[in-house]
Parts: sequence; C-alpha cells; structure tokens
Amino acid sequence: MKILTILLRIEWLKAAKRRIFWVAIGAFGLFTAIRAVIGIYMASTIPDVDFTLPERWPDILGAVSGFGPLFTAILMILLFAPEFSWRTARQNIIDGLSKEQFFTGKVILLAGLVLLFMAVAVLIGVSSTIFSPGESGSAIFRPNDLSYMGGIALGMLIYGSFGLVLSTYLRSSGSALGVLFLYIIVEGIIPLLTLRMGSRTLRDAMEFLPFKVVENLGDNLAYYPAELLEMNPMRPELDLVPLGSPDIGIHVIVALAYIVVLLGLSLLNLRKRDL
Amino acid sequence: MNNLSQNTPDTDLQDQASTSVDVIQTLDLTKRYGMRAKKSVLAVDRISFAVKKGQVFGFLGPNGSGKTITIGMLVGIIMPTGGSFRLFGNSDSRGLNAARARVGATLETPNFYPYMSGRDNLRIVAAIKGVNRSRIEECLALVGLSRRAKHRFKTYSQGMKQRLALAAAMLNDPELIVLDEPSNGLDPQGIREIREIIHTLAKRGKTIFLSSHLLVEVERTCSHVAIIRDGRIIKWGPVAEMVGEGNAVLLRSEDIEVLAGAMEAYPDATSVRRTDDGIVVALDSGDLANVTRYLSERGIYLSLLAPHQPSLEEVFIDVTGDTTDSMTGLAA
Repeated sequence: MKILTILLRIEWLKAAKRRIFWVAIGAFGLFTAIRAVIGIYMASTIPDVDFTLPERWPDILGAVSGFGPLFTAILMILLFAPEFSWRTARQNIIDGLSKEQFFTGKVILLAGLVLLFMAVAVLIGVSSTIFSPGESGSAIFRPNDLSYMGGIALGMLIYGSFGLVLSTYLRSSGSALGVLFLYIIVEGIIPLLTLRMGSRTLRDAMEFLPFKVVENLGDNLAYYPAELLEMNPMRPELDLVPLGSPDIGIHVIVALAYIVVLLGLSLLNLRKRDL
Repeated sequence: MNNLSQNTPDTDLQDQASTSVDVIQTLDLTKRYGMRAKKSVLAVDRISFAVKKGQVFGFLGPNGSGKTITIGMLVGIIMPTGGSFRLFGNSDSRGLNAARARVGATLETPNFYPYMSGRDNLRIVAAIKGVNRSRIEECLALVGLSRRAKHRFKTYSQGMKQRLALAAAMLNDPELIVLDEPSNGLDPQGIREIREIIHTLAKRGKTIFLSSHLLVEVERTCSHVAIIRDGRIIKWGPVAEMVGEGNAVLLRSEDIEVLAGAMEAYPDATSVRRTDDGIVVALDSGDLANVTRYLSERGIYLSLLAPHQPSLEEVFIDVTGDTTDSMTGLAA
C-alpha cells in the first residue's frame, strides 16, 4: 500500500508540473460546461424546460461520453510517451523503481485521470443546478446515473489503456497520437466494409471492436430505458427503425477484458525491451 | 593484474566470487542484439570483473566499446542475454531490486524532466529512493546548485546538468556510485569540479564505478581499472600495478628512425612507440645488456636508455593498439 502512495505522489509531481495537464483538464471542463451552459440558458428562456439534477445527468454525461475517452487517451500519451525521449523512464528505473512499479505508476496515473475527469464532470453538473432556474430533485444521483458514469469511466479506461500501449510500444508521443487517430479511422471503416459482406455474425462482432465497445458503453439509452420507451413509439410514424440499446453487462465484461489485455501487452513490452 | 584475453572467469575471479566484499561482480556477462546469427551484434562479450568495497574503479574503453551497455545491465535497464552479475552479492531479480536501493547512478547524459526545476526533479528521485526532503538541499549544496535549484532543468548548462545528476546519484547516500562519462561536455573547470566531488566521495569510503574515455582523468581518479574494447575486457587491475608493470625502456639515438626500425626487428620487443623524447620499447624481459649489444652490432649508439613507466594512456594503447582520437587524455 505504501508503494502505491509513493507512486501516486511521483505521478502527481510529474503531471501537476506540466502545462499540458492543466490545459487538458481545463479544455475538458470547458467542453463539459458548454453543454451545461446551453441547458441552463434554455431552461431560463424556454417555459416548461428545466435543467436540474438528477434528470439532466444524461445530457451532461452524454457530452462527456463523446469526448472524454479520447481526451484520456491523448493526455495519457502526452504524459507518458515523452518519458522515453527524455529518458526519464530509464532514470526512474536506475533510481530504484522496478519496471513493474514504473508501470503501476502509469496505471495509477490512468485511473487518476479518469477519476479527475469524472470529478470535473460531476462538479460542473452540480454547479449547473445552482445556476439553473428549476428545482432539483431530492437526490443528486440516481442509480442509473451512477451506472452511466461507470460505463463512461470504463470507456475512458479502454482509451487510456490504448494510449498507454501505444506509448510503450512507440515511445514517441507524435507517433502514438498518429497511430491512435489512424486506428480510430480504421475502426470506423471496418464495420462499413462488413455491411457489404452480409454476414450477420460478422456485423454483430463489429459491435465488440474496442472503440465501438466504448461507444456502446457511452450510449445513454442503455442506462435510461424510460427514454427508449418514450422515443420508440414515435419512430415508426417517422419511418424510423425502433432504437435498441446495447447489453451493458456483456459490454462491461468485454471492456474489462480489453483493459486487461491492453495493460498486459504494455507491461510485457516494458519488461521485455531495454530502456 | 588480470589479462582476460579469453574473457573466461579466471581463478582469481572465482576466488573473489566467494568473498563477501564484492560490490559488483560479473561472470561472463553478455549482451547480444538481434536474434539471427548473421545480423546479430555482440555488444558485450562474456565479461568478468569484480569491484570491491571502497574501490574507485575506472571502466575504460573507446566509444562503442560496450561500457554503457555493461552499466545498463548492472542498473537494470538492459537485459543481459548471457552470463550473470551480482550487486552486493544479490543475483535474483528481487535481490537486485533491493540492492539497487544502495546504488546511485547516472547513465550517459543526465536524464531529468526538462519542464521541472532542479529541486523538483530531485523531489521525484527522493520519492523513488525514499529519502527525506532535507537531503535534497544537502546534495544541492554539495554540487553547488542551491542558487539555481528553482530554475527549470532545460535552462541548465551541460555542467549544471552533470552536477544535478551527481546530486541525484548521491541523494540516498549510496554505498555504490556508478557514473557513466560524468565529464562529458564539461569544460576543464567543470571536469576539475567533478573530479573533486569524486575524490570527496572516495574519501568518505564510497565505492565508485566510473566509466570514462578520458584516460588521464581515470588515472588521476581511480584506484582500479578495467579496459574494455569491442565488448571484451582485455585488462583489469590496480592502476598502480598497471602503469608500473612491464619492462618498458625509453631509448634515444642520433637517428630515431633507424633506431625504431632496428628495435621493431628486435625479437624481445613486444611494442615500439615513438614519443617526443625518443622511442618507448616494451620488452619481454628486462635484459638491457642484450639491447645495447644488439644495437651496437648494428652501428647504433644510444644517447639515452632509461626505464619508462607508462601512463594509463600508453598502457591502453599498448594493449588495444588504439591510437585514435576516441581515447585521449587531452581533455583533462
């Protein structure tokens, strides 16, 4: 336990002194706040519209689920990959950390980033109710809201683990960011290609590609079935197919598996390669 | 003195393995890059040596000879592909990790977070080493960086970076200090400062493992030395013995070229080298009467014949045949 506290302190020292860390947190807060500000503005100008918690968590968290995971991956790469070009990774080992401890430090950093981003989102959400003209519900969170937050956090962990793997393998933030964006594009194209193949199994499998899993975990309809029930009756009238929602249970298991595999690959590479 | 032409552990080394005072001990330590036999590079080839407690051990070799890779293996950032080593008697990974807590080391260039101040960088090292913060100020003062400690590392001169690296290495008051090219990029004043710090540490009884290609610097600083070339240790032992051994003589005559030519053909001469004062000849035996007889038979009469104690640089050139600029003492 003591070593984890030390590693947390070391990672905090490294991150807190970097401008990019605060810029990223600020940008994340800003993007999240924009959604809240729009909600508050609408609540104060349009009658019968309110922006209060816990009812409006899907809106705030929906915004976070959109850009939060990518933010996590980018920040993880920017904080971790330069450790190889600055050769501070090797110096940390020379100074006494084992490779496993160094890696654990990065996992703590990843978990810390996810917690920090979620804390910023919660802070903005709670703050928004103070400025909103409507009256808040009796509780700030409902169980669904907490589940949704968990799903988004898992998505951030997948992206962050991906960033961690890319940083470990490529050891350069530029290359790691390049491959990250390239992969996002490729993963977006693959399902489109499989559509032509007609195989239902293959199409179903596409739902479990890493970033698609993140997308599904961030789908608010999966956590708020009442909204789904509200929306679906109207869709046939508009010539639209009824919406479905992903099975969150399976997605959580797949997400955990991805995180374990990605972190495992990263640790394996770090152990095997010279610094 | 140990000549390890085959790089196999000799009896001396195996005897040393049984002693408990070896701070570093390597046995056939090997590093090969690349898996395919044809394309693979043997960077370190079965090297064996031992460093005892309290020694200031110089690790000499030209650039690319395998010094840094050897140190990298000792400090845990490079995986050996063969052989083994012990730090404070530990050879398993858990023991080595524990032993590294007793080591302070810098490798090649000083590696710190460029956006952080010198003091903050040392805070990270202190956290890793489990050292009290007050020690940071002590070490900064020791290397003369107290006044610049709040400035960012990237604004430091090369000399200041080296001094910060020394401060970091000393932070946990280590028993073994490993310094890889600590004089790199320093001006003569900087080199002298680093030398003084190393002397201070040596006086305090620290074991110092110093890698350098500055031969004069090593000769001035170290009690023991190992010479590595092409990944092999070709000679190691106490500096005093190394520079004092052999039967070298300094010869001078009217025509130096004729004298050198004659001595190159002399059966007992192992090497002939021209210097400003004449020629230095290393002899298998110390029979000087034979030398004078041999030369006089060829009509060569000596104006000077004197015993010659070689410098470490000369020993190095003698054993490696290296006369390139990569190994000089001029920088000192």
